[in-house]
Amino acid sequence: MSTVVSLDRISKSYEQKIAVSELSLQIEEGTMFGLLGPNGSGKTSSIRMMIGITMPDSGAVSLFGKPFVRESLKRVGYLPEERGLYKKMKVIDQLVFMGQLRGLEPAVAARRAHDWCERMQILDSAGKKTEELSKGMQQKIQFIATLLHDPELVIMDEPFSGLDPVNATLLQDTLVDLKKTGKAILFSTHRMDQVEKLCDAICLINKGHPVLQGSMREVKSRYERNHVVMTFEGDSSFLQHPAVKNYKDYSGQVEIDLKPGANAQDLLREAVSRAVITKFELMEPSLEEIFIRTVGEDVDA
Amino acid sequence: MRDIWLIAKREYLEQVRGKAFKVTTVLIPLVFIGIFALIAIAGKNSGVGKHIVIATADPALAKRIREPLIADKDAQMTVDVLAPATQNDRHRLLEEVDQKQIDGFLWLEAPANGPTKATFESRSSGDFATEGRVQNAVNHALVEERLAARGISTGDVEELTKPIDLGTVQVKNGKETVSSALSTFWAAYAMAFLLSFTVVMYGMNVGRSVIQEKTSRIFEVMLATVRPGDLLAGKLIGIGAVGLTQITIWLVAAGLFAGSALGARTLAGGLKVHVSAPEIVLFCLYFVLGYALYSTLFAGLASTCDTEQELQQYSPLAAVPIWLSFGMIAFIVSNPNSIWSVAISMFPPCAPITMFLRLASQFPPYWQIALSLGLMAVSVYILLWLASRIYRVGILMYGKRATLPEMLRWLRYS
Repeated sequence: MSTVVSLDRISKSYEQKIAVSELSLQIEEGTMFGLLGPNGSGKTSSIRMMIGITMPDSGAVSLFGKPFVRESLKRVGYLPEERGLYKKMKVIDQLVFMGQLRGLEPAVAARRAHDWCERMQILDSAGKKTEELSKGMQQKIQFIATLLHDPELVIMDEPFSGLDPVNATLLQDTLVDLKKTGKAILFSTHRMDQVEKLCDAICLINKGHPVLQGSMREVKSRYERNHVVMTFEGDSSFLQHPAVKNYKDYSGQVEIDLKPGANAQDLLREAVSRAVITKFELMEPSLEEIFIRTVGEDVDA
Repeated sequence: MRDIWLIAKREYLEQVRGKAFKVTTVLIPLVFIGIFALIAIAGKNSGVGKHIVIATADPALAKRIREPLIADKDAQMTVDVLAPATQNDRHRLLEEVDQKQIDGFLWLEAPANGPTKATFESRSSGDFATEGRVQNAVNHALVEERLAARGISTGDVEELTKPIDLGTVQVKNGKETVSSALSTFWAAYAMAFLLSFTVVMYGMNVGRSVIQEKTSRIFEVMLATVRPGDLLAGKLIGIGAVGLTQITIWLVAAGLFAGSALGARTLAGGLKVHVSAPEIVLFCLYFVLGYALYSTLFAGLASTCDTEQELQQYSPLAAVPIWLSFGMIAFIVSNPNSIWSVAISMFPPCAPITMFLRLASQFPPYWQIALSLGLMAVSVYILLWLASRIYRVGILMYGKRATLPEMLRWLRYS
């Protein structure tokens, strides 16, 4: 596996405001990377520096294993959060134009645009002007425009916002397919459920500072599994075990928070000795919980 | 380079295929023809059909004055004679003028030993055409009268006082050119108008186009592959080419019209328009530079705005130089080589228009034209540098319109 994106302590500030501070991250090929953070935390600023729309005040950006050069952008597909299309242009013309700007021959661009429209189920609209299409349709066209030149690095800023569940799934599946073919995919979002499902690695930033990063496994393993859900029949006195911090008993199903450093196995042994256990699950914290715990209460998102 | 070309091509095709292009291509010449026709007709018709009275103690003199006035077919004047007239008549005439029964009266006093005193009293003080005609008639009549008094026969008097038409010959490069001064004047005048119109129209057009792309949120998508400078350059070239296309269409159409039978007949009557090759070349040069100046300015400003309304607030920046230029028409046309005329034709925002106004009356020295073009090119270069830096930041900023201090700070961003 080779590294597609490498940021080395990049920082950027505007006037008094620090947009990004000392951010470092690596994205490997064939992985999906989630850039998370509350609104205004510096996600878009980081992405903009990654692809040379703005330059970092300090630090270095490398793409495809070499320092940033504009030529590398032909291998990148970027779907910004603030995205649009030329309203008066026909969909197919628009896609060919975008493809040409990224170095495709017009004929190649036209053929690929056709194939993608078919895959995204919008072939009927290919001859229409963009302004005649619904917002969801336009978003699919933007999605196609991002991928038309077969980029090795795909960057999508809030790609699923404003899409209905059917189309969101279609896009998700496409991204997963791309990942399987070895593309590196970075997307930013604050929808934790999507990240948890799709991403191999994450970086959580808050107020411009990276506060948490690593592979999904690694990040989660850093947080203790101290939440237990169990169902049982019989004596409930094991709930007085010293490992239990507090519990909620819903007639047969109990949710237990363990004390820090407590051993869940001790509790299970104690429970087995007194009651009939039908389920005992040590839950890992959800990304959402981690997010909230890390970023804390001062999130204005 | 390929990117600039692609963007310019897209911009050009979108605009040329658009409705606005077709409408303006047809409508603007029609409006121009309309305005010039109106000016020509109004000029001919001013002072037509007036009713005046000649009041004097000398009936013979009154008759002499009346004759040429009535003979002037263009004026269609009604001239009554009141002779001999008294002071009471004068009061009555004043009342008639006041009650709009007559347009004016000529009061002549010819004392036996002293100069003749003539006063023309009318409601309007600005009817130069009528005043001029009356003045000529009075002078003519007095000369006739004096000649007759010295015993010269009426036939001889007419022969002696026959008016002469002043022919105009322009001296060009030391050679006499018989092209009538008027035809050259009108041509350059029309070109100055056309320039002011197209330069500002297309300059604003670029501004609007930037705003539209900003509201459609296309910029960040484009910036992922294209440099902001290329984006701006492509847009300027594309829309500029649209402007040149439109002007070419007009020039070709005008050429075809002038060559046609109908055109030959229309142009034969006084309104001859003479356009020389250097003028066409200069027209294109001034269009390109003037357009570059205004479009760069508006592209930079537009990138700091979010809506067209906000951009409108900057429109005086284009309007003021044009008012200034046209405000100086009379001065420039009659003093094309005065220090002020030369100075304003060097001032880049006014140069395209004022240089053509100077051309209207006299071809300026080539070094002055070269200097004014050079100054324009330099200011375009400086403005391009400033605008592209502001543009680069502005197109990604949404929200309120940027203030001047903010724009100055943007210049320092990299």
